[in-house]
Amino acid sequence: MPRARIIRDMKARATVASSEVVRQAFRYLTHNTTLPAKVRAQAQLQLNAFPRDARPTAIHNRCLETGRGRGVLRAFRLCRFQFRLKALEGELPGVRKSTW
Amino acid sequence: MSTASKITTLNKLSCAIFGNIYNPNGLRTGNKILRERLVGPTINSYYPNVKQIKLREITRMVPEMNLIDQSEKVRLEDLSEKKKRGKGPPKKGQGRRSTLKKK
Repeated sequence: MPRARIIRDMKARATVASSEVVRQAFRYLTHNTTLPAKVRAQAQLQLNAFPRDARPTAIHNRCLETGRGRGVLRAFRLCRFQFRLKALEGELPGVRKSTW
Repeated sequence: MSTASKITTLNKLSCAIFGNIYNPNGLRTGNKILRERLVGPTINSYYPNVKQIKLREITRMVPEMNLIDQSEKVRLEDLSEKKKRGKGPPKKGQGRRSTLKKK
């Protein structure tokens, strides 16, 4: 079972993906200065009416193993310590400890 | 025809030919938002899609199998045991908070 924070982030990701097209349409309306001001204001209100998780900034890459939100290596989707553990175990193909 | 008007007509024509939008004053038309890539699929595929099957789902789908959720059974047994000893939930208006208010 994944960690609670990961579940929360999964939920946010699903919300972002499902509401993205409609949100982009409203964003287009608000950013278009050639449209009447009333339409743009209404589009802004609609944007504010979306849930908080609908914004792409609500999502945060987390460690798949521990759910840690900081120090996550994007390429491996692991936090730095889990990355080290797995790399030393040899579970990450192509990763080797280097010395110089 | 002056040079400036020639240039504007030229720009208009080139926009018409190459399928661009003629926007000499640089007005913000919001087209850059329409040009953005949709990030939903990539965002949604960050976590591996591993669905854990719960025992409850199996029992709901196939009730004929009569599977017993051991932890649930233990929990219900504990609850009935507690109730016997008078440790069940208090009745409405008999809890700690409501008795505090009366004093």
